[in-house]
Amino acid sequence: MSRSEGPSIGPADAPGDGADDGFASKLRRLGRIARWEVTRSTGTIDRRTLLILVVMIAVIGVVGFVAAEDGLGLDDEIYVVGVDESNPYHDVAVEANQFRPVSLSDVEIADDGESGNVDLVLTPDGEIGYVGPNGEAAYDVFRNAVGSYNEGLMAAENDSPAAYPVFVSLEYQDRNLGLFAEEGFETEGETAGDGEPGSGDGGDTDDDTEADDDTEADDDSGMTTDPDADGMPSTDDGLQVPDIGGGAGEQTAPGTPGTLSPPFPFEALVLAFLLIVPMNFVIQVYGGSIMQERLKRRGELLLVSPASRTEIVAGKTLPYLLGLVGLTAAIVLSIDGGVLSIAAVFPFALLFLGATFAGAMFARSFKELTFVTVTVSVVLTTYAFVPAIFSNVTPIALISPLTLVVFDLQGESVELVEYLFSTGALYLGSVVLFLLGIGVYREEDMFAQKPIPAKIIDAIVSQIDSITARVHAYASPFVLSILSIPFVFGAQLLGVALLFAIPDAVALPVMFVFAAAVEEFAKSIHVYAGFARSRFDSTIRVGAILGGISGIGFFLGEKATHAVQLVGIPDLSVGTAAFGPALSSEPLVLVALFFAPLVLHIVTAVISTVGATRGRTSYALAFVVATIVHVLYNLGVIALVA
Amino acid sequence: MSRDRADTGSARRESIQRGPNPPSVDTEASRSVWHARWALIRRELQSLRSEKTIILAIAIQLFIAAFSSFLVVGLVSMYDPSAIEGQERAIAVTGEDTDELAAVASQQDGLGVDRYDDRADAHAAFEEGQVDAVLDANRDDEGRLVVRTTVPDEGLQTTVLVVQLREALETLEYTERIANADRLAEQPLSVPEAIEASPYAGFTYTILLPLLLFLPAFISGSMVVDSLAEERQRGTLELLRVAPLSFVDVVDAKLVATAVLAPIQAAVWLALLAVNGTAIAQPFALVGLVAALSVLVAAVGAGVALYAPERRQSQLLYSVGIVGTLVVSTALPEHPANTVAKFATGSATATSWLALAGYGIAAAFTLLALRWYVDRLEPESL
Repeated sequence: MSRSEGPSIGPADAPGDGADDGFASKLRRLGRIARWEVTRSTGTIDRRTLLILVVMIAVIGVVGFVAAEDGLGLDDEIYVVGVDESNPYHDVAVEANQFRPVSLSDVEIADDGESGNVDLVLTPDGEIGYVGPNGEAAYDVFRNAVGSYNEGLMAAENDSPAAYPVFVSLEYQDRNLGLFAEEGFETEGETAGDGEPGSGDGGDTDDDTEADDDTEADDDSGMTTDPDADGMPSTDDGLQVPDIGGGAGEQTAPGTPGTLSPPFPFEALVLAFLLIVPMNFVIQVYGGSIMQERLKRRGELLLVSPASRTEIVAGKTLPYLLGLVGLTAAIVLSIDGGVLSIAAVFPFALLFLGATFAGAMFARSFKELTFVTVTVSVVLTTYAFVPAIFSNVTPIALISPLTLVVFDLQGESVELVEYLFSTGALYLGSVVLFLLGIGVYREEDMFAQKPIPAKIIDAIVSQIDSITARVHAYASPFVLSILSIPFVFGAQLLGVALLFAIPDAVALPVMFVFAAAVEEFAKSIHVYAGFARSRFDSTIRVGAILGGISGIGFFLGEKATHAVQLVGIPDLSVGTAAFGPALSSEPLVLVALFFAPLVLHIVTAVISTVGATRGRTSYALAFVVATIVHVLYNLGVIALVA
Repeated sequence: MSRDRADTGSARRESIQRGPNPPSVDTEASRSVWHARWALIRRELQSLRSEKTIILAIAIQLFIAAFSSFLVVGLVSMYDPSAIEGQERAIAVTGEDTDELAAVASQQDGLGVDRYDDRADAHAAFEEGQVDAVLDANRDDEGRLVVRTTVPDEGLQTTVLVVQLREALETLEYTERIANADRLAEQPLSVPEAIEASPYAGFTYTILLPLLLFLPAFISGSMVVDSLAEERQRGTLELLRVAPLSFVDVVDAKLVATAVLAPIQAAVWLALLAVNGTAIAQPFALVGLVAALSVLVAAVGAGVALYAPERRQSQLLYSVGIVGTLVVSTALPEHPANTVAKFATGSATATSWLALAGYGIAAAFTLLALRWYVDRLEPESL
């Protein structure tokens, strides 16, 4: 098979066998491959398997439904408490599911309370002692259980004002202290009770509302600056009579102090998570289908067809992408989301498929593929999920498109800039992944068994070749450094999201090293690939030139990440560690800060690329040196600015 | 294939070790069968090693553990102000009935109380940033204390503040209830004093530990599925049949090679947790539990891989089956994760031990069933 076609950079400019005929016939071929993919995939699932699957899913559904009624019971009776039945706290131990009460006469304690057969002891005179390694944890849980038990008691009372003597309403209000003026992003607060208002007796509500109106009038005179503090819809809902269900520890109705909850969009988050779940299953099938082409040279048949490999890959991917979009749309409709939710999840579907495609092209066996897909699932789910937890808390959350879904479900509007910010890296990243995979979608790579790192090197080299064919060999480090930006950006953002809740003392050093290492790796790995596959002369001079070009490319690409400053991430100290401090207004400092990174990137890239000319070990060493230089530079700049 | 590369050295050695072909005497034959079994197990483990699958598997487990720990540590520290240190924050108390509220709030850690007689002053102080919250307390007609709380819309800081306010207001609620004691049928119990306790203990025992113990078993099962399905699809299962082994032996070897990894990993996790200060009361019971589960899961995986015609189906059946088993096991008297938690905290009951025995019996039974099924299977039909 001799195909003259070079690796293609995009469907539009794919040269090769199909270049002479029109766009329509390309589309036709693409459609045919997509159709084959669908018929073949559905054909392989036989009726027997289908039946078993249906039965299993039905059983899961029924049991899951029943189980959801009475909880998972994961923490049932994990602590033992010694208490006599006469003790008033005995009922607490019986009602709280974490505890198993035993009678005081059965309690054995040894080593001065260091160990024993119980975790807690409640003496008849009302004292509570804790025993053994889990005693303190048990005590803490017991303390909370007493609170829940009290709530249960009070719920049974007839005299509601006596049982619930305190009512609270919570209002979030923007205030302009200057500090937060430039935050290009607004967290709309919600009141504590964003669930349904309690359906309890409405009789009392009237009284409360009156009292409320009273104070409201005063308030309005108090707050003069902020006319749109009205975004809080339910201050009145906050004054409903509690409607406490049977389950202790359940979310009680709004109104009592216990119902005050910090802004946490739990429900919206769970719903948003629903959108990610199907992707994990679809990529299993998709990865399997790609892998199948590579077993027993089956893919050869498609490769010799007039379709270009871009068309083949596009055709094989299209059904899965459409399927995911359809699934997403169905889920979004059923949870009352809008178009924004679909638009936010779409790049994620693309990235899931792109990563799986590249992984399936690199994997040697199904076993390896399984782990590649699991890695893709875990990493991407983390990337989607963790930042979204902080949706209403910090602008960092915006790096995940799930945050947009959460906003959409909460009925908040999202600006185009925000959409681009949270999805841009995903779109670019998936394009690059597809390019890498398509680069090795050719006879000599598809059926060869090589370790994954070697395949990745091959894939990068195939991109170097294609750039060399188009422009010049020295252009490849420039382009590839720019292409690596979305991954660098994504990795660093994920790092920030993972570390920002951890104390700065731990998070900052880790983040400094991690951010520098990611950047150095992105700048030099493609040059190393070129040297490893003899695409460049292994001389120090060539290494230095390539490093310089790579540094310039990376610098230009990195300027794009300055978009983060629009959403105020550098305000966080961890963010500073990753992206550098916010730009100062001093012109001289500004110019210095603008060009210093250029010098840095060139210097460190040259260090590691010169190392790369002498093989793997010296590359690894040079990479470490470059990372250290980079970290020192970052520390210096931050010290300078601060 | 990597396997080829990795095996070239050992294959030469094996060809020397392997007994005469055809095997001559009975004892010789049985020894050579053992050799062949051992060679097969080694081959399986070697392919895991050369593909770095096992490293990837452990990395994934670490990542999942770190991910879930992060979730909890992050969330707990966000919603539990005592978990992060912070300076005292000033709140304004205003309204008609502020004595009780001010008394309780000033007792609360991290809150400092400023009293304002005039609401407008309190809100002005809030706007200027002198106070971080305004609590406006008034009695309504029924004698309830109604507290209108205004907090700034400032993200993380507010989250912590709200939790602090909630604790203060809950204390206020308790004192008010005691004051209303004569109108209540049942007296609320006094809540014990707070102590310094790790808020992560419950999570460690009920989520993290079961996750770390079950994941290796599930991964082992998945490896058996992939290994068998791949040999079938590549046609190399056929080649294995020239070895002096029955088909049952081949499947057995694959099971042993993968199922043995899970308890080893589990033991390592337990040791690491113990080093980190999480006391594990009955580590041997836990390792035994994982061993039983991994044999059970691997046997089921092997059965699925031999039953389903293709790898895609077998992986689908296997993964849906695992998810299903986890859900269905909530119907058991004790969820497996709960059993793990009880063994770890030392609160195991007779039910826990019965459950452990039950998993062992189920594993043995499944293994027998698999052998019976493999025995009746026509290897040519695969």
